[in-house]
Amino acid sequence: MIVQKTYHVVLFQSVNQTMWADKILREIKFQHKLVPVPRHISSDCGVCLRISSDQVKEVREALTGVEGFIEIVPL
Amino acid sequence: MIHRVDARGLACPQPVINATKALETNDSINVIVDNVTALENIRRLGKSKGCTVTDEKKSDGIYIVLEKKGTHESASESDHEALFSCSSSGSIVLVISQEVMGKGDDSLGGILMKSFFHTLAETDPSPDTIIFLNSGVKLVVDGSEILEDIKNLEKKGKKIFACGTCLDFFNIKDKLMAGSVSNMYEIKELMLSASSTINL
Repeated sequence: MIVQKTYHVVLFQSVNQTMWADKILREIKFQHKLVPVPRHISSDCGVCLRISSDQVKEVREALTGVEGFIEIVPL
Repeated sequence: MIHRVDARGLACPQPVINATKALETNDSINVIVDNVTALENIRRLGKSKGCTVTDEKKSDGIYIVLEKKGTHESASESDHEALFSCSSSGSIVLVISQEVMGKGDDSLGGILMKSFFHTLAETDPSPDTIIFLNSGVKLVVDGSEILEDIKNLEKKGKKIFACGTCLDFFNIKDKLMAGSVSNMYEIKELMLSASSTINL
Protein backbone atom coordinates (compact mmCIF):
# COMPACT_ATOMS: atom_id res chain seq x y z
CA MET A 1 0.00 0.00 0.00
CA ILE A 2 1.31 3.45 -0.91
CA VAL A 3 1.22 5.82 2.02
CA GLN A 4 0.62 9.41 0.93
CA LYS A 5 3.18 11.67 2.55
CA THR A 6 1.61 14.55 4.41
CA TYR A 7 3.07 17.99 4.90
CA HIS A 8 2.82 21.02 7.14
CA VAL A 9 3.85 24.56 6.29
CA VAL A 10 5.73 26.94 8.54
CA LEU A 11 4.44 30.50 8.29
CA PHE A 12 6.30 33.73 8.98
CA GLN A 13 5.36 37.38 9.09
CA SER A 14 7.59 38.38 6.19
CA VAL A 15 9.61 36.97 3.31
CA ASN A 16 12.85 38.09 4.99
CA GLN A 17 12.00 36.13 8.09
CA THR A 18 11.15 33.08 5.98
CA MET A 19 14.54 33.39 4.28
CA TRP A 20 16.23 33.64 7.65
CA ALA A 21 14.43 30.53 8.95
CA ASP A 22 15.29 28.73 5.71
CA LYS A 23 18.95 29.46 6.44
CA ILE A 24 18.67 28.23 10.04
CA LEU A 25 17.08 24.95 8.97
CA ARG A 26 19.67 24.50 6.24
CA GLU A 27 22.49 24.92 8.72
CA ILE A 28 21.15 22.04 10.77
CA LYS A 29 20.75 20.02 7.51
CA PHE A 30 17.00 19.92 7.81
CA GLN A 31 14.94 18.49 4.93
CA HIS A 32 12.45 21.16 3.96
CA LYS A 33 11.32 23.07 0.90
CA LEU A 34 10.58 26.72 0.31
CA VAL A 35 7.16 26.97 -1.41
CA PRO A 36 4.53 29.63 -2.10
CA VAL A 37 2.02 30.09 0.71
CA PRO A 38 -0.95 27.87 -0.29
CA ARG A 39 -3.94 29.83 -1.54
CA HIS A 40 -6.27 28.36 1.08
CA ILE A 41 -4.06 29.83 3.80
CA SER A 42 -3.38 33.26 2.36
CA SER A 43 -4.03 35.09 -0.86
CA ASP A 44 -0.80 37.03 -0.38
CA CYS A 45 2.11 36.37 -2.69
CA GLY A 46 4.13 34.97 0.17
CA VAL A 47 6.50 32.10 0.71
CA CYS A 48 6.69 29.57 3.50
CA LEU A 49 8.59 26.43 4.40
CA ARG A 50 7.07 23.03 3.68
CA ILE A 51 8.06 20.29 6.08
CA SER A 52 7.07 16.69 6.53
CA SER A 53 4.23 16.33 9.03
CA ASP A 54 6.31 14.05 11.23
CA GLN A 55 8.86 16.84 11.73
CA VAL A 56 6.55 19.46 13.22
CA LYS A 57 7.83 19.09 16.78
CA GLU A 58 11.47 19.20 15.72
CA VAL A 59 10.97 22.31 13.57
CA ARG A 60 8.99 24.07 16.28
CA GLU A 61 11.90 23.55 18.66
CA ALA A 62 14.45 24.74 16.10
CA LEU A 63 12.49 27.89 15.34
CA THR A 64 11.45 28.83 18.84
CA GLY A 65 12.43 32.44 19.40
CA VAL A 66 13.02 33.15 15.71
CA GLU A 67 11.57 36.53 14.90
CA GLY A 68 8.43 36.53 12.77
CA PHE A 69 7.58 32.85 13.28
CA ILE A 70 3.78 32.62 13.22
CA GLU A 71 2.62 29.03 13.17
CA ILE A 72 2.99 25.57 11.69
CA VAL A 73 -0.21 24.44 9.98
CA PRO A 74 -1.24 21.37 7.99
CA LEU A 75 -0.99 21.72 4.23
CA MET B 1 -22.53 26.52 -57.59
CA ILE B 2 -21.23 27.30 -54.10
CA HIS B 3 -18.30 29.71 -54.05
CA ARG B 4 -15.07 28.06 -52.98
CA VAL B 5 -12.29 29.67 -50.91
CA ASP B 6 -9.16 27.55 -50.81
CA ALA B 7 -7.26 28.77 -47.74
CA ARG B 8 -4.94 25.80 -47.37
CA GLY B 9 -1.36 26.79 -46.71
CA LEU B 10 -2.29 30.36 -45.80
CA ALA B 11 -1.02 31.85 -42.57
CA CYS B 12 -3.42 33.23 -40.00
CA PRO B 13 -5.41 35.53 -40.34
CA GLN B 14 -5.46 35.25 -44.14
CA PRO B 15 -8.12 32.46 -44.26
CA VAL B 16 -10.54 34.68 -42.30
CA ILE B 17 -9.80 37.69 -44.50
CA ASN B 18 -10.40 35.70 -47.70
CA ALA B 19 -13.59 34.16 -46.32
CA THR B 20 -14.88 37.57 -45.18
CA LYS B 21 -14.37 39.00 -48.67
CA ALA B 22 -16.13 36.01 -50.25
CA LEU B 23 -19.12 36.39 -47.91
CA GLU B 24 -19.58 39.98 -49.06
CA THR B 25 -20.64 38.80 -52.52
CA ASN B 26 -21.95 35.27 -51.86
CA ASP B 27 -24.75 33.85 -49.73
CA SER B 28 -22.91 30.62 -49.16
CA ILE B 29 -19.25 29.71 -49.38
CA ASN B 30 -17.12 26.62 -48.97
CA VAL B 31 -13.83 27.36 -47.21
CA ILE B 32 -11.06 24.77 -47.24
CA VAL B 33 -8.44 25.02 -44.51
CA ASP B 34 -5.65 22.77 -43.30
CA ASN B 35 -5.52 23.37 -39.58
CA VAL B 36 -7.76 23.46 -36.53
CA THR B 37 -6.98 27.07 -35.65
CA ALA B 38 -8.20 28.23 -39.05
CA LEU B 39 -11.31 26.04 -38.65
CA GLU B 40 -12.12 27.67 -35.31
CA ASN B 41 -11.58 31.14 -36.75
CA ILE B 42 -13.84 30.47 -39.73
CA ARG B 43 -16.50 29.09 -37.39
CA ARG B 44 -16.37 32.29 -35.35
CA LEU B 45 -16.59 34.35 -38.51
CA GLY B 46 -19.65 32.38 -39.63
CA LYS B 47 -21.40 32.87 -36.29
CA SER B 48 -20.64 36.58 -36.27
CA LYS B 49 -22.16 36.91 -39.75
CA GLY B 50 -25.28 34.96 -38.79
CA CYS B 51 -24.40 31.94 -40.96
CA THR B 52 -25.03 28.27 -40.39
CA VAL B 53 -21.67 26.54 -40.19
CA THR B 54 -20.98 22.93 -41.05
CA ASP B 55 -17.62 21.29 -41.49
CA GLU B 56 -16.23 18.03 -42.74
CA LYS B 57 -12.70 16.70 -42.36
CA LYS B 58 -11.35 15.12 -45.52
CA SER B 59 -7.95 13.70 -46.39
CA ASP B 60 -6.91 16.88 -48.21
CA GLY B 61 -8.29 19.46 -45.78
CA ILE B 62 -11.17 20.62 -43.63
CA TYR B 63 -14.16 21.75 -45.70
CA ILE B 64 -16.33 24.35 -44.02
CA VAL B 65 -19.64 25.52 -45.47
CA LEU B 66 -20.96 28.91 -44.37
CA GLU B 67 -24.54 29.68 -45.38
CA LYS B 68 -26.24 32.96 -44.66
CA LYS B 69 -29.55 32.53 -42.85
CA GLY B 70 -32.67 34.24 -44.15
CA THR B 71 -32.46 36.90 -41.51
CA HIS B 72 -29.36 38.09 -39.79
CA GLU B 73 -29.26 37.32 -36.11
CA SER B 74 -27.65 40.39 -34.80
CA ALA B 75 -26.08 40.85 -31.42
CA SER B 76 -25.79 37.15 -30.79
CA GLU B 77 -23.48 35.96 -28.05
CA SER B 78 -20.83 35.18 -30.59
CA ASP B 79 -20.63 38.84 -31.55
CA HIS B 80 -18.88 39.42 -28.29
CA GLU B 81 -16.17 36.92 -29.04
CA ALA B 82 -12.96 37.94 -30.72
CA LEU B 83 -13.43 37.32 -34.42
CA PHE B 84 -10.31 35.26 -34.71
CA SER B 85 -7.30 34.17 -32.78
CA CYS B 86 -4.03 33.25 -34.41
CA SER B 87 -2.79 31.32 -31.45
CA SER B 88 -3.37 27.61 -31.67
CA SER B 89 -3.61 25.29 -28.74
CA GLY B 90 -0.01 24.38 -29.53
CA SER B 91 3.02 24.25 -27.34
CA ILE B 92 4.07 26.74 -24.71
CA VAL B 93 7.80 27.31 -24.36
CA LEU B 94 9.28 28.81 -21.23
CA VAL B 95 12.74 30.36 -21.51
CA ILE B 96 14.71 30.77 -18.30
CA SER B 97 17.62 33.07 -19.05
CA GLN B 98 18.92 33.67 -15.54
CA GLU B 99 19.13 31.75 -12.29
CA VAL B 100 16.96 34.21 -10.42
CA MET B 101 13.48 35.50 -11.13
CA GLY B 102 13.21 39.18 -11.90
CA LYS B 103 15.62 42.04 -11.40
CA GLY B 104 16.39 43.80 -8.16
CA ASP B 105 17.61 41.61 -5.35
CA ASP B 106 19.19 38.25 -6.19
CA SER B 107 18.36 36.66 -2.83
CA LEU B 108 14.72 37.48 -3.38
CA GLY B 109 15.02 36.44 -7.03
CA GLY B 110 16.34 33.03 -5.94
CA ILE B 111 13.40 32.55 -3.59
CA LEU B 112 10.94 33.57 -6.31
CA MET B 113 12.48 31.11 -8.79
CA LYS B 114 12.20 28.26 -6.25
CA SER B 115 8.63 29.21 -5.52
CA PHE B 116 7.83 29.46 -9.24
CA PHE B 117 9.23 26.04 -10.12
CA HIS B 118 7.50 24.41 -7.18
CA THR B 119 4.22 25.83 -8.48
CA LEU B 120 4.99 24.78 -12.06
CA ALA B 121 5.69 21.22 -10.98
CA GLU B 122 2.66 20.92 -8.71
CA THR B 123 -0.11 22.65 -10.64
CA ASP B 124 -1.56 22.70 -14.15
CA PRO B 125 -1.08 24.03 -16.72
CA SER B 126 2.66 23.90 -17.15
CA PRO B 127 4.75 24.63 -20.24
CA ASP B 128 5.49 21.88 -22.75
CA THR B 129 9.12 22.87 -23.07
CA ILE B 130 11.53 24.70 -20.79
CA ILE B 131 14.79 26.08 -22.16
CA PHE B 132 17.54 27.17 -19.79
CA LEU B 133 19.96 29.80 -21.09
CA ASN B 134 22.86 31.87 -19.82
CA SER B 135 23.10 31.62 -15.99
CA GLY B 136 19.72 29.85 -16.07
CA VAL B 137 21.63 26.63 -16.85
CA LYS B 138 22.87 26.62 -13.25
CA LEU B 139 19.36 25.53 -12.32
CA VAL B 140 19.64 22.18 -14.11
CA VAL B 141 22.99 21.06 -12.76
CA ASP B 142 24.11 19.25 -9.64
CA GLY B 143 23.53 21.40 -6.56
CA SER B 144 20.53 23.27 -7.95
CA GLU B 145 17.84 23.68 -5.34
CA ILE B 146 15.03 23.29 -7.85
CA LEU B 147 16.35 20.12 -9.47
CA GLU B 148 13.64 17.99 -7.87
CA ASP B 149 10.90 20.17 -9.40
CA ILE B 150 12.57 20.15 -12.81
CA LYS B 151 12.88 16.36 -12.69
CA ASN B 152 9.19 16.11 -11.75
CA LEU B 153 8.29 18.24 -14.77
CA GLU B 154 10.43 15.95 -16.93
CA LYS B 155 8.61 12.90 -15.54
CA LYS B 156 5.34 14.53 -16.58
CA GLY B 157 6.61 14.57 -20.16
CA LYS B 158 7.79 18.15 -20.30
CA LYS B 159 10.87 18.71 -22.44
CA ILE B 160 13.83 20.29 -20.70
CA PHE B 161 16.76 21.75 -22.62
CA ALA B 162 19.94 23.43 -21.47
CA CYS B 163 22.04 25.62 -23.74
CA GLY B 164 25.29 23.77 -24.44
CA THR B 165 27.32 26.93 -24.99
CA CYS B 166 26.18 28.24 -21.62
CA LEU B 167 27.00 25.00 -19.77
CA ASP B 168 30.40 25.12 -21.43
CA PHE B 169 30.95 28.77 -20.49
CA PHE B 170 30.27 28.08 -16.81
CA ASN B 171 32.27 24.84 -17.05
CA ILE B 172 29.39 22.74 -15.70
CA LYS B 173 28.59 20.55 -18.70
CA ASP B 174 29.52 17.39 -16.79
CA LYS B 175 27.16 18.33 -13.95
CA LEU B 176 23.94 18.35 -15.96
CA MET B 177 21.29 16.49 -13.95
CA ALA B 178 18.05 17.14 -15.85
CA GLY B 179 17.04 17.49 -19.46
CA SER B 180 19.40 17.41 -22.38
CA VAL B 181 22.02 19.66 -23.94
CA SER B 182 20.71 21.72 -26.81
CA ASN B 183 22.11 24.10 -29.39
CA MET B 184 20.93 27.39 -30.82
CA TYR B 185 19.39 25.78 -33.92
CA GLU B 186 17.10 23.67 -31.81
CA ILE B 187 16.40 26.51 -29.37
CA LYS B 188 15.46 28.82 -32.23
CA GLU B 189 13.15 26.19 -33.76
CA LEU B 190 11.47 25.48 -30.42
CA MET B 191 10.88 29.16 -29.76
CA LEU B 192 9.57 30.00 -33.20
CA SER B 193 7.35 26.95 -33.58
CA ALA B 194 5.68 27.50 -30.21
CA SER B 195 2.24 29.05 -29.99
CA SER B 196 3.54 31.03 -27.06
CA THR B 197 7.05 31.72 -25.74
CA ILE B 198 7.46 33.11 -22.25
CA ASN B 199 10.82 34.63 -21.41
CA LEU B 200 11.91 34.95 -17.79
